[in-house]
Amino acid sequence: MRILEDGGADYLKVDPDGYRAAVRDTKPHRMVSKMMSHQEAIERFVSDGDYLAYDCNYFQRGPSSLIREIIRQRKKNLWICGKFTYVACALLVEAGCADRIDIGFIGFGPWIARAVKEKRLTIYEYSNAVMTLRLKAGAMGIPFIPVRSFGGTDGFKHSGCKLVEDPFTGKPIVLAPAINPDVSIIHVHQADEFGNARVFGTGIAHAECALASKRVIVSAEEIIDTAEFRNDPARTSIAHFCVDAVVHAPFGAYPGTVQGYYASDPAGVVEAMGAMYQGDFKAYLQKHVYAVASHDEYLAKVVGAEKLAEIRRRETIKEGYHA
Amino acid sequence: MSTPATSFNEREFVTCQISRLVEDNYIYWVGGGGEPLSSVLLAKRMGAPNLQYLTEDGVVGPEAQVPFDPLMTMISSRANYRALQWSTMNYAADLAQLGYVDYGILATLQVDRYGNVNSTVIGKYEGGEGRRFGGPGGADSIAALAWRTILVTDQQKRKFVDRVDFISSPGFLDGPGARQRHGLPPNTGPWRVYTPWAMYGYTKECQLELQGIAPFVTIEQVLSEMSFKPAIASKLEILEVPTEEELTILRTQIDVGGQVTDRGRWIELAEGKYRFAA
Repeated sequence: MRILEDGGADYLKVDPDGYRAAVRDTKPHRMVSKMMSHQEAIERFVSDGDYLAYDCNYFQRGPSSLIREIIRQRKKNLWICGKFTYVACALLVEAGCADRIDIGFIGFGPWIARAVKEKRLTIYEYSNAVMTLRLKAGAMGIPFIPVRSFGGTDGFKHSGCKLVEDPFTGKPIVLAPAINPDVSIIHVHQADEFGNARVFGTGIAHAECALASKRVIVSAEEIIDTAEFRNDPARTSIAHFCVDAVVHAPFGAYPGTVQGYYASDPAGVVEAMGAMYQGDFKAYLQKHVYAVASHDEYLAKVVGAEKLAEIRRRETIKEGYHA
Repeated sequence: MSTPATSFNEREFVTCQISRLVEDNYIYWVGGGGEPLSSVLLAKRMGAPNLQYLTEDGVVGPEAQVPFDPLMTMISSRANYRALQWSTMNYAADLAQLGYVDYGILATLQVDRYGNVNSTVIGKYEGGEGRRFGGPGGADSIAALAWRTILVTDQQKRKFVDRVDFISSPGFLDGPGARQRHGLPPNTGPWRVYTPWAMYGYTKECQLELQGIAPFVTIEQVLSEMSFKPAIASKLEILEVPTEEELTILRTQIDVGGQVTDRGRWIELAEGKYRFAA
């Protein structure tokens, strides 16, 4: 195949055969209970230097409580899949946990330029859909995926993509390298103890993340019986064998929303965005992460029962979100 | 009710312009928020009740309940209320690659004569020297794959430049044929550019062409807020001001908190002419 242009930037090593072997050797093929705490899940399944994907983001049905736990455990040198996200990348970089980001869209502010200048951060450019398509390729067990967008952009020149002559049509086409993240963290509406999981409503790439990632931590608003999955199998978004850990995390997306369950907390959203725009995360991280030992303590002491009741009450729309 | 308004601001003006361009019965992929989403929501309440729109999270044809909480324009129950389908981002990307997306609407940080869009960095990219922004997000897919893309930006010299500092999402790149040489589908690309002062299209040579101006500015004022001189249509359209009905809907149903439109200068009708309010 003739390569017409090479983006030339570093990308996560592509190794579908290695991934197949990891699936055979390390994925839990039989149904076993994987219930564990936030602390145990992050300790066991997130390692320094990992490529980390999280689905959705800190404000929209994202694994916010797991992100806070990663920061609390002071993980290091993570490479972040920065698609469709606002503050989580900023929090992870400024807390010293991450030093590389593949950018689709991230919340910006003075922190990025500062971190790049100080050589604490290396960035690679993509778009949201190029990133989700890379995850799709990872989820299909193939090394790359042809993409009809992204060609001709300056982002391409700072990416791991290549423009080639398509051997079938003879026309130019962009190829994007697959991603098989070391670990994905995904927040869902419902899961059983084995990791079967349901997402209601729209999302970004939770199914792709679950299939593509060597290790998967699912946090769930509700833990339900496996019988409920068997009663309505078409609603299963993620099958148990993809999942390594299940964490019960009510209000796990706070300050964000989980559609149908609770609304976002606008004050909490504005507080996080404010820290990002000002480029000063110290106070935010201290109050929301380091000052408490666990998600339960965070909800009880920092957020408070009154706020939780209020965001539940404000989420008046239920259609489509319950089994 | 379709009385021309006597007082409105620049944001309201541009939102109404785009809204009127939105055709019924077509499929739109709109940037998640700002003028793109507001203009589509306004159009659904005016002349285009059957338009369907997508956002990046793979929602198809929602009947959104506005207003939204801050930033909750996607993956929220109000934004995605009573949709025809719920899916995920790769589905939206697939629909665009397949050719289902008739129109895309994008707000841009900086745009150039070929309609290339910058949402990555103002200034120098290398070494973190420039002022960094969020990246293309979903805009790359829209700009590359919608049959027609409508761009909205500010009429400011620093935003309307000869060449963007960084091409985040593709316009015509560097001229005719360039999109296809880089793998993008044929017969796509920027179609209109709106600012609060003017409306532009493109010539056959893919060059920006001034086609209409607002009644409260002169052509000289428009050109003075561009870093380059565009082609100018032989006959310039004078853009019609918002109607009272549009503004009422915009202010009371869509942008209640003024998150989108509560910026920009105010315009008023005085002595039979529209002009900037003192």
